[in-house]
Amino acid sequence: MTELEPDAALDRHALVMGVWLALGLIATLLLHYGLGTGGLPAVAAGFAAVLTAFFAHVIVNAVYATTFTRRELALGLVIYLTGLLAVSLAALSSAAFRDHGFVPMAAGLAGSGAVIVIYMIIHFGVRGVFDAFNVIGDFRVDEDDEPSGGGRQ
Amino acid sequence: MTPLLLTTLGVIFAYAVYLATASARQTSAPRDFLDGGLTLPGWGYIFAGMGVVIASLDLESHLLLIAHYGLQYSHVALGLVLAAVAAALVHGRLWTIARMTGIATPGRLLGDYYGSTAIVLYVLLVLMLLALPFSAVLLSETGALVETVTAGAAPAGLVIWGSAFFLALYTIIGGWRGLIYVLAGQSLIVLALLLATTGAAGIAAHGLSFASYGIAVPAGIASDRLPGVIQFTAGLGKSVPQAGLWTTTQIASFALALTGITLSPGFLLLGVSRRTRTGLAFSQVWMMAGVAAGLLLLLGPVLGAELSRSPSLTLEAFLGLIGRLANVDQLFAAGLVVMLVVSQQIAVAFFVVSGASLVTSDLVKRYVLPDLTPAGERLSARIAIALIFIATAVLADVLPLPALLLSSVALSLSAQLLPALLGVCWLPWINRNGVVTGLIAGLLFVVFTEAAGLVAFEAIAIDLPWGRWPLTIHSAAWGLVPNVAFCVIVSLWSRQREAVISRDTPRRLHEGLERWSPVRLGGGATRAAKWSLTLLWVFLALGPGAILGNSLFSRATYGLPGAGGQMPSLLVWQIASWFTGVLLVWWLAYQSRMGVVTGTPLSVSIAPPASPLTTDRRPRWISRLLGRLTLRSGLVEDGARENR
Repeated sequence: MTELEPDAALDRHALVMGVWLALGLIATLLLHYGLGTGGLPAVAAGFAAVLTAFFAHVIVNAVYATTFTRRELALGLVIYLTGLLAVSLAALSSAAFRDHGFVPMAAGLAGSGAVIVIYMIIHFGVRGVFDAFNVIGDFRVDEDDEPSGGGRQ
Repeated sequence: MTPLLLTTLGVIFAYAVYLATASARQTSAPRDFLDGGLTLPGWGYIFAGMGVVIASLDLESHLLLIAHYGLQYSHVALGLVLAAVAAALVHGRLWTIARMTGIATPGRLLGDYYGSTAIVLYVLLVLMLLALPFSAVLLSETGALVETVTAGAAPAGLVIWGSAFFLALYTIIGGWRGLIYVLAGQSLIVLALLLATTGAAGIAAHGLSFASYGIAVPAGIASDRLPGVIQFTAGLGKSVPQAGLWTTTQIASFALALTGITLSPGFLLLGVSRRTRTGLAFSQVWMMAGVAAGLLLLLGPVLGAELSRSPSLTLEAFLGLIGRLANVDQLFAAGLVVMLVVSQQIAVAFFVVSGASLVTSDLVKRYVLPDLTPAGERLSARIAIALIFIATAVLADVLPLPALLLSSVALSLSAQLLPALLGVCWLPWINRNGVVTGLIAGLLFVVFTEAAGLVAFEAIAIDLPWGRWPLTIHSAAWGLVPNVAFCVIVSLWSRQREAVISRDTPRRLHEGLERWSPVRLGGGATRAAKWSLTLLWVFLALGPGAILGNSLFSRATYGLPGAGGQMPSLLVWQIASWFTGVLLVWWLAYQSRMGVVTGTPLSVSIAPPASPLTTDRRPRWISRLLGRLTLRSGLVEDGARENR
């Protein structure tokens, strides 16, 4: 994996944003519909959209011969934890969600997390994954947004 | 739905401003603002190009016209395959030429190659038509659409000026590079929403209306068949074609107009400003001919059928569909509007910014302020973007009718550049005299077979005996036929004389093209087969042969009993034509290597024509006339002196 030139990093960033924006919008539509009247198939389709975006991101990384940046990993982790928290709070506060929405959402979050972690373990190895997610320890303000180390050492 | 819609649009605007700012901070070189420093990523051309192609077709009007005319209008989506063929013919070679000559802008390239300022002016005319009236019509549609769906909560004028402001904001910040980044993302959004809203429309109707009822077109219009090969009518405004307007001749000629999208100066700049050689063929084959044409062909009738359930085939039709989508989920309803608005804004932003960049390079820098520094060029382009957006918003808000009339000629006039571009890329024997004569003939024919020319004549109380698109032939074809004829005849006529003057530049350029962008058309038989099959595809998919699709795949054709709800024969024909069309473009772009550039070329210099603003270039006939007059006056004075 190579460190990208600034122009290439910008190109990659723009492409990644485009992919996540488009597929994120679709995932939002489907999840919202699924939690309303759509039911399990729509929720499953929503998480499929999220995973499609993730694998599109992986393809972009492959094209640019790089990996996820630390900021991307941090953002992904924050969004995932926020999702977990939101689902937990909704389950505690809403009986309707507990009855109809909790199981598909929890299964979707667990499944998505599992797919992503399994991919990263295959790709980076266990130590690499831990290092990649250890963003608190080395997330310094003056550090450039370099691709995470990862890789089989 | 209003807060939801405005929030979603706000998020998309915020994304655009963020990317434009990131681009501006990263790339501070002034050239990046004008043409991305010719280092745009290949995927920019791939995704933004697809989005611009769909948006230029005007998605909102496209869906309403399908609701009005049924499958006969939906057939025009196949024209995007022809637009992809045009792109394959031109874009790869222009990329090579731009690297050889160092000239990136199409106006300057054509002008310098042919040594003609008139061609530069023609390109600027096309640019301005696309940047001003064409974009104004789309902006006006955005205003009307948002006003309708928000029940007046967001007035059209406010939406028009608000959209123009936000579009201007991010394009003035990010320039060409930032624009392409944003357009690529927005194109993906349109694509995703097109799929999602069509799916939701199916859910909303508990089964697709298209499958259950077909497209409920008004009485007297054939919904699922083409209304003949040609109809000998005087044109729209004079007579009404029977069973619908979209005969095979109309469709084929409209497809020529669609080549005006990929041959437009802005699109040529997009093709040239890529950094990498890769991605060209991929975009032409899979994104333009494949995804764009295919989605419009397959999903257009589905949404059109939903719209056709409304009693009024105007913007009100969208209200009905939005209501049904809102019953499924409010977000789907908002998604449909966002899709339409974003697609319109893709085209507006693209044509305005390309117009501003090219006007700065080809007009301001070249003729008006030749000493402009690169930073001054960037400032000039920013001012041009702001001014064009203001003018576009004024046209959209205050003068929508003149904008509509002028926009009708934009794509047709853009398609008239085909012979000139073929001359640069493929046919060295085409010369300046031929191109200029052809462009003048094409321009006149286009204007007089479009609403703009007809209304202009009506304004001076002359009622022309024909209407818009006479004989159900689109103005693009009315213009291209005399354009090509004059171009070929005059080029051949003046070939000998031109050769004596100078044909050195075209020779060197085409030698370079053969070396750096060679095609593999094969031997005589293979070459003939490739072009014959291309023409055969055009004949069967778009031309008179498409009439076979009316009934070829119906059970009645084979004496079988009719089955209710079976797929219309014309739709099967369209899908088959699309499939073979993609294969055709693949064959030309990949196998024949028209969309493949093999190396980084060496430089070839082209001497630019002298500027008419800085040099005295009197035509010879004026010089001779003045000479005679001065001689005669001299003789008269001499005679008077002798008489004295």
